[in-house]
Amino acid sequence: MEYAIVGNGVAGITAALEVRKRDPRAGITVISGETDYFFSRTALMYSFMDRLTLRDLEPYERGVFDAQRIRRVRGWVTDLDAQTRTLKLDGGRSIAWDRLLLATGSRPRRPQWQGLDQVRSGLVNFVSMQDLEACETVARPGAKAVVVGGGLIGIELVECLRWAGMEVTFLIREPWYWPVALNAAESAMVIDHMRRHGVIVLTGESVAAVETDGQGAVTAVSTDAGRRFECCALGVSIGVEPAVDWLRGVSTPPRLNRGIVVDAGLRTSLGAVFAAGDCAELELPGRSPLVEQIWYSAKRQGALAARSMLGEPIQYDPPVFFNSSKFFEIEYTTVGRFPRESGASGDGLREFYFRYPGKDASLRIAERGGAVEAFNLLGSRWDHNRFEEWIGQRRPLEDVIDRLHQAQFDVEFGRLDLTPARAAFKLWRAESLRHAGVPA
Amino acid sequence: MIRPGLGDRLAHDVTNRGVTAWLISALLFAFYIVLYFTEWFTPVAATLHLGSKWALYGTLYTLAVLIGGGFMLRRYAHNRYQVLRTVCVMCVQALFAYSLPQFLMFIQQPEFYFSYLWPLKLDYLNPNYLFHLPLPFILWSILGSFLLVPILAIFFGKRWYCSWVCGCGGLANTFGEPWRHLSAKSTKAWRFERVSIYSVLGLAIVLTALMFASYAVGGVHPQLASFTGEYQKWYGILVASVLAGVFGVGLYPLNGTRVWCRFFCPMAALLGIVQKAGRYRITVKDDMCISCGLCSKYCEMGIDVRSYAQSNESFTRASCVGCGLCAEVCPRGVLRLENVTHQAQQLQLVQIQRF
Repeated sequence: MEYAIVGNGVAGITAALEVRKRDPRAGITVISGETDYFFSRTALMYSFMDRLTLRDLEPYERGVFDAQRIRRVRGWVTDLDAQTRTLKLDGGRSIAWDRLLLATGSRPRRPQWQGLDQVRSGLVNFVSMQDLEACETVARPGAKAVVVGGGLIGIELVECLRWAGMEVTFLIREPWYWPVALNAAESAMVIDHMRRHGVIVLTGESVAAVETDGQGAVTAVSTDAGRRFECCALGVSIGVEPAVDWLRGVSTPPRLNRGIVVDAGLRTSLGAVFAAGDCAELELPGRSPLVEQIWYSAKRQGALAARSMLGEPIQYDPPVFFNSSKFFEIEYTTVGRFPRESGASGDGLREFYFRYPGKDASLRIAERGGAVEAFNLLGSRWDHNRFEEWIGQRRPLEDVIDRLHQAQFDVEFGRLDLTPARAAFKLWRAESLRHAGVPA
Repeated sequence: MIRPGLGDRLAHDVTNRGVTAWLISALLFAFYIVLYFTEWFTPVAATLHLGSKWALYGTLYTLAVLIGGGFMLRRYAHNRYQVLRTVCVMCVQALFAYSLPQFLMFIQQPEFYFSYLWPLKLDYLNPNYLFHLPLPFILWSILGSFLLVPILAIFFGKRWYCSWVCGCGGLANTFGEPWRHLSAKSTKAWRFERVSIYSVLGLAIVLTALMFASYAVGGVHPQLASFTGEYQKWYGILVASVLAGVFGVGLYPLNGTRVWCRFFCPMAALLGIVQKAGRYRITVKDDMCISCGLCSKYCEMGIDVRSYAQSNESFTRASCVGCGLCAEVCPRGVLRLENVTHQAQQLQLVQIQRF
């Protein structure tokens, strides 16, 4: 059986290794237009900041692919034909397959700004290896940069450009930084931290137009509030979207929506063609369409897609959501989904938030109907597996606060002291009971 | 709350095998060769009113640990494990490896280093030397090597010695810290390490046995005594001077700071074996690794930490000195140094099986 995998990111490579583990005789080909070898996309920033070399970004020694008999092909796929089971690559090469996995990941969302069509240089994203190279060419110490977009990649790019000695303005369209994940207070802490790192942070302001010089180099952006920021580097990180455009014109396109539509077995409408990672859109019974776009989900889906391609009856059931990040020095762990109507009372929704005085550390835990649902933790280390367990066990908030130390993962001697958080919780609980009219 | 942390060490020629790094390496090599094989430093020491070239060396060594330690403390001030560990090695160096031996000599006692034990310091189990010491020193040497060292290593791993006490590790983790990422990461280096480190341990054990044999029956077997003497001399030159000094420190700017500890130190070899059977391990938080590779890059022992982290494997490696930098640099807090109890290990095993 011949397995072809388009994309050598974490989903594609995890799938390739998983196929090999389970079928020693399979023929496996991984195709990538981006790089010869799999690299850790999430670590691009550490290469930019000279803490790692490009080679260090590769999670597996290069010899692994030969040892595992995984063929690597460099090139962009131009056509997919599910009838003849072939792929065509730029340069005219073609690859035959019995099972095909599409793992093409995400690409940066494109903005709709005036003057964008004039831009030839100075505008950068921070998603691919090519973006990294572009960022390294635009970064100039002392010069001005603007980064647009208030998400995880945005803050990474801000950190990189700050490191490179640029004067960085971070333009966030939303009223605060990353509102889909952080509340106003958490965001204020992160923004304050960024400011201490010398970043100029502006919220509630979006870009309207880009200005360029005669050669098409970015010179400034202006916002909808009428302000103008000069810059020679413009970082754009307003989110990512599944990289599926290339599939629209192929001989047999799979069904596409936001991403490549797949069922619980990660199978596309084309039968022998599967999709995994950022580019896949899950249509699961009884759930709204789901595009998972983080490292962990890509790894998970890659492994499952491999098993599904090998004929195992896979029913992907996305586990409790978790993610992690680092905002300059503030480490971040989140587990579960916060109810959108945060702060609303009624239907048993309660949310405890505590910020450590004088520290860039906070915790926020949400409970609904007597069971914890979500955790947001900033500035200290936690084992998300415990939180997942507690969410699964539907433990009440009180109980979780009592056992919170079991999930701590700080370095030895450096555990965050939970005493102030627990004391604050007692007060908060007494207060909320009093409001609810329950005698203390 | 801005942390200096790792900084951008790949950007500088001093910390990325540039011309300056080669120059510093050459100077260190020259320094050690002069120190071990000539008497050129003796007049220098005399001018400075230091008793011998070794006192001069001890002074420089201690200064390097203290100054490097100061930088280390500044760099990792936010990490209490690093702070306590660094303060500990600085104190041990300043007190037990510098002031106390000087004081002992001042009060007409033998120059004795309580922070070094057999098999790192073979003399301390050499009956010809040991049995001429005062009784407390004899007891310390014997009980230290055969009780204290292994027991602490069973409970805390080899780190209690290699990263908290030992002067070699102390210099590596203070003065040498900016070069830690230069450790060899190849499979070839690992293969060499497995042979070299246990070979030196073998040489050390054989020598100790010879010293006892020669002490017991050297009188009636003069060849044995003279062979032991020759062996001891060559071990001293090869292991103590060349491998620990000249190469061990000389290669700091080119091959990282633990060349001696990783490839040759007999104490590290022995402690590593105990560590494998003990409680120390690096716990990996499941499914949280982003495979960035900072842990592997900044491991001074050249352990591919990432390979464990990305496959959710908590692990104990014999060579791990427990410096804790992998956990420090991990941007997702995936790693944690721990001394796990037997029950906890069992429990996790059950969980893995259930999973």
